[in-house]
Amino acid sequence: MKTFIGNLLAIYRRELQSYFKSPFAYVIAVVFWLISGLFLIVLLLSPSGIIAQVSASDQLGINQPYDVPYEFLKIYLNLLGSLSMFVLPMLSMGLYAEERKQGTLELLATSPLTNWVVALGKLLGVVTFYSAMLLPLMLLELIAFSASDPVFPLSLFLLGHGGLLLLGASTLALGMFISSLSESTVLAAVMTFGVVLLLWVVDAIATVLPGPIGSSLSHLSLLTHFTDFTQGIFDSSGLILFLSYIVLGLYLTAQSIDTLRFQRS
Amino acid sequence: MIEVDGLSKAYGSTLAIADVTFAVEPGEILGFLGPNGAGKTTTMRILTGYLPATAGTARVAGKDVHAESMAVRQRIGYLPETPPLYPEMTVEGFLHFVARIKGVSAGDRATKVSSAIARCNLEEKRRVMIRKLSKGFRQRVGIAQAIVHNPPVIVLDEPTVGLDPKQIIDVRNLIKSLAGEHTIILSTHILPEVSMTCDRITIINQGKIVATDSPEHLVERLAVKGGYWVELAGDAENALTVLRSVPGVIDAQVAETEGLIAGHSRFQVTTGAEDVGSAIAAQVVEQGLGLFELQRNRASLEDVFINLTMQEQSQEPQDAAQEQPQDAVREDDLAEVLPKDPTHESSLEQSTDVSETENSEEDMT
Repeated sequence: MKTFIGNLLAIYRRELQSYFKSPFAYVIAVVFWLISGLFLIVLLLSPSGIIAQVSASDQLGINQPYDVPYEFLKIYLNLLGSLSMFVLPMLSMGLYAEERKQGTLELLATSPLTNWVVALGKLLGVVTFYSAMLLPLMLLELIAFSASDPVFPLSLFLLGHGGLLLLGASTLALGMFISSLSESTVLAAVMTFGVVLLLWVVDAIATVLPGPIGSSLSHLSLLTHFTDFTQGIFDSSGLILFLSYIVLGLYLTAQSIDTLRFQRS
Repeated sequence: MIEVDGLSKAYGSTLAIADVTFAVEPGEILGFLGPNGAGKTTTMRILTGYLPATAGTARVAGKDVHAESMAVRQRIGYLPETPPLYPEMTVEGFLHFVARIKGVSAGDRATKVSSAIARCNLEEKRRVMIRKLSKGFRQRVGIAQAIVHNPPVIVLDEPTVGLDPKQIIDVRNLIKSLAGEHTIILSTHILPEVSMTCDRITIINQGKIVATDSPEHLVERLAVKGGYWVELAGDAENALTVLRSVPGVIDAQVAETEGLIAGHSRFQVTTGAEDVGSAIAAQVVEQGLGLFELQRNRASLEDVFINLTMQEQSQEPQDAAQEQPQDAVREDDLAEVLPKDPTHESSLEQSTDVSETENSEEDMT
């Protein structure tokens, strides 16, 4: 157990280091921050933003109760979720493809480490980097929420972002598996994007399909469960789905590395 | 320390290595020699637990590489063909990482990393990012990562490939300095490398072990009946008579006159078993011929290698019937055959071929 944690930490630290020392990761983060920051400003402060709209309808005398912070959180988290769909494949694409290209996978595979430890350490590393990308945005949101009267419940805020993190982690886990399939990072990114897109809209496909197949398929949708979280609904089935995606990603990665050894290399 | 028994590895229907058997004693350096694609890397990958074998067993330090993979991985240091390096790490940071995943305890790590850095002469690059290192230094970091946990067995896959001559010498000296306390397997397709660094050589070709022996013995096996190259000034016909008159000389032929100073000729002298170099020199000088060069004609490891590996390939399409008469020629008979043979050079080649055929067949059985 002690060596397991030691090895996990070693892999985790190395993975983190590779993100925080790579100019590429910073470029991704900066672009992510720019776009999401822009969204934030447009949503809050622009003439077509949520606050302007509510005050306009107030002036027109339409006296409809409207929870601005709640609506803002919902819209903004969905925006971040959609944006992440493009960003996450770029974070996960190098996880194994890069190791394969550099030949360092041979080092890991000939060290006394299990595939599980390597996969888990790597996933934790990339999830940490993703969290670091979300932190400044959360700070901005909190500043906006501090102006809310009555006080906006922190639990809703945390639940929504927890959902975003879970969505990110499951996407990254699947991306990690796809990354372990080839030496090409570009291929991994494109394939991950395809798979994520499919899981994103699978409920739309499911509605077309009849009967139990359709309904069971719709439960696999990342989007439906993520939307629940953003609306402040904690549904254990959503949590279990996200965790299942993560475990599946880890399992498939470990298996794929094992199979790799049996292939022509 | 390393026992490999009947190891085979098939990729689909192609056999990468077939029935490979060898053993390495503790503290020994074994050179694994073979042309590209002979199965060197495959064998090493099986030994390090990276690939599973199709058949056969391999044991490192008494532990089976497949059944006790984790224990073996801890006891082995491995440098793959391309050194496995993380470009964004510093040399020191990378070695710390490797020491950690190889199971070196936290207390030992600093000293082990420092000693690996010192052994591989990396002090000045300790805090440099690997990305900024030259090929030679990267190779050294690769070797450092293989020895950092002080493993009893070190496996090096083509450790000097792509290095400049000075770096090659450095790396060879480093490898030699590791012998004794470590058991080393080293693969290469460069011959001088094995003859300079290794105690024993295993030659592998097309997935099969062709020969295992010390470098000296391998050369000895191929040793042609004694022979010399002699460059003389003066009349070639006269010189031939003089050379043939030396006791112990079986035959002398004009090898070449082109490309030499006018009036000089180069002769190939075939001699018996005894060394007659000084007698040739004495006779030549006595007869007033100018002696410009006297060189012993010795088989190099290169010849052994070419012979052993090429033979395999040429033998396959050859008709069995064609081989029979060749085998029938005994080495003892050659002495009588040679002088009568007008095409001296070709017969000499044949004689080496024949002796090799016999030798390698001894090995196969």
